[in-house]
Amino acid sequence: MVIPRTPVSPPSAAPSAMGVVLDLIEGIGRVPTGGMATVALDAANRIAALDLVVAWCASSGNEIVSVEGLTVTVRHGRSPDPLAQLDPAQVPGSRVWVYTNFDCNLACDYCCVRSSPKAERRAIGAERLQQIASEAAAAGVGELILTGGEPFLLNDLDALVNSCTDELPTTLLTNGMLFRGARLERLRRMDRSRLTLQVSVDSATPGIHDSHRGTGSWAKAVDGIRIAHDEGFRVKVAATLPADQMHELDPFHSFLDTIGISREDQVIRALAHRGVADSGIELTVDSLIPEVTITADGVYWHPVAADHDAQFVTRDIFPLADAIAEITRRFVAHRRAADSAAEWFPCA
Amino acid sequence: MTAPLVIGSVAYSPNVVPIWEGMRDYFAGTSTPIDFVMYSNYGRQVDALISGSLDLAWNTNLAWVRTVAQTDSACRALASRDTDLIFTTVFVARSGSGFTSLESLRGRRLVLGSRDSAQAAILPVHFLREAGLSEGDVNLTRIDSDVGKHGDTGRSELDALRAVLDDRADAAAIGINTWQAIGRGELLPGAFESFWTSPEYSHCTFTAMPSLEVERADPWVANLLAMDWENPQHRPILEMEGLQAWVPPRLEGYASLVKAVSEQGITARW
Ligand code: SF4
Repeated sequence: MVIPRTPVSPPSAAPSAMGVVLDLIEGIGRVPTGGMATVALDAANRIAALDLVVAWCASSGNEIVSVEGLTVTVRHGRSPDPLAQLDPAQVPGSRVWVYTNFDCNLACDYCCVRSSPKAERRAIGAERLQQIASEAAAAGVGELILTGGEPFLLNDLDALVNSCTDELPTTLLTNGMLFRGARLERLRRMDRSRLTLQVSVDSATPGIHDSHRGTGSWAKAVDGIRIAHDEGFRVKVAATLPADQMHELDPFHSFLDTIGISREDQVIRALAHRGVADSGIELTVDSLIPEVTITADGVYWHPVAADHDAQFVTRDIFPLADAIAEITRRFVAHRRAADSAAEWFPCA
Repeated sequence: MTAPLVIGSVAYSPNVVPIWEGMRDYFAGTSTPIDFVMYSNYGRQVDALISGSLDLAWNTNLAWVRTVAQTDSACRALASRDTDLIFTTVFVARSGSGFTSLESLRGRRLVLGSRDSAQAAILPVHFLREAGLSEGDVNLTRIDSDVGKHGDTGRSELDALRAVLDDRADAAAIGINTWQAIGRGELLPGAFESFWTSPEYSHCTFTAMPSLEVERADPWVANLLAMDWENPQHRPILEMEGLQAWVPPRLEGYASLVKAVSEQGITARW
């Protein structure tokens, strides 16, 4: 609905700009809260009228949805707070992901960041990780999650992990295949009370797992879980399944039960279409609730897209609180835009 | 289960339905459930109240005064919004017009809202009369864009302001709510200024007939007054209805309107 303006011949710009506020009050009054009203600005004093609409919306608790040429669309009331609609664990910054290196002893065909033995190491480094951990704790982050490539390729991993667990509960993602020799010694130096290991296992038997991750990898991962348990660590299992297998989970859960993974630590997710995966569900900034993710290159929207330009947020990791605030701001803006699009194009 | 109290309300805006659905949901969790019926104007609503098909009517001040007149003062006011107890009429003009008082309107053009709007028509004429100005002393224009709703939509008040902007009138009499909606002249200095504000009077109130037993009315009022601005479930309803707290009515606040209605020979029925 476009509310027609009564033609006016203004002696000065101010009163005629005021007319648009009268139109707006009337238009807003005709639609329920959440509805949209549209007003037309006078071409002659567009800027003054628009300023006034902005001021009126701010003072009256209504919200400008769009300005196109001379047409302004205003929502009756404010859109609901997108953050308030989230589960507290989903609020951006409730946890922070850090990519520690990117290189990996495996070359899984679905790896969302194209890690492999050939991938160049891009290490976050001890100094930056220490600063991330302490700034995260100060910014109210509840948990750190470290991922590789394969973090156990790093010779200083024990020190890196301890700098995190000193500040916050931490989860370390690993393929679980390297718990031998010096690397096992490093594992032993980590803080069992603050660290959870998360190991990838994709199936109850070697077939599917090995077809994506390499021959023999399933047996080594299952053995790695046993070693970690023997060392007194809590182990979560994360499985990445094609969307069409997500309905056959019972045998898989039973298997994980037998190797001592508690049900709350059995995390099964659908394959994402990122990196070298050639099929999977589409994840875009619009559809993904952000998870603040830090790599050696900067801050990303979400860990599944930590090498994807479209989800790059900022090169500036510090202050970490600013990076979290920027991701939160973008999330709110995306949600508001999506909400108003949904209201404009209702499904019949 | 207790039979719900049936409350009438006039459908003056699309928000009336979500407001009353919110109220119904709130009262469903109390000892005094409600249901609501919508009317297109206050005349029909008051007829329904008096004939007994409603337990309560959410009335404007004019609807209350007319219900009092039709029932020989037998009806009762149960509760109002906090904002209803401090309602005022504001006389506004273009900034710099030089009005300083009601007296300075003598010989000038004053635009009024709908003829049945207490705040924008009936009381302004009464205030002029109290200031010693009869209808002939001021050139009055009436804008009847929402008769029957007693100025509830405020549309006639917006039209009155447009008349001032367009130089079809020198000044307008509007309700304080409309004055607040346009930012009290602070949003755009240089557009409007107010030059006289009336004494406070009472506006809307829940109206009951004597047939509604005190044993049913009192617990309902107690539950109504218990709605809490700080409670996130109650707050959206209160915001939409334009209040922070439900309060007992202030009956003295209707005296000026009673006087105005009798001076102006306004009938008790519509
Ligand atoms: S999915 Fe994990 S284990 Fe596989 S290549 Fe990528 S980082 Fe390495």
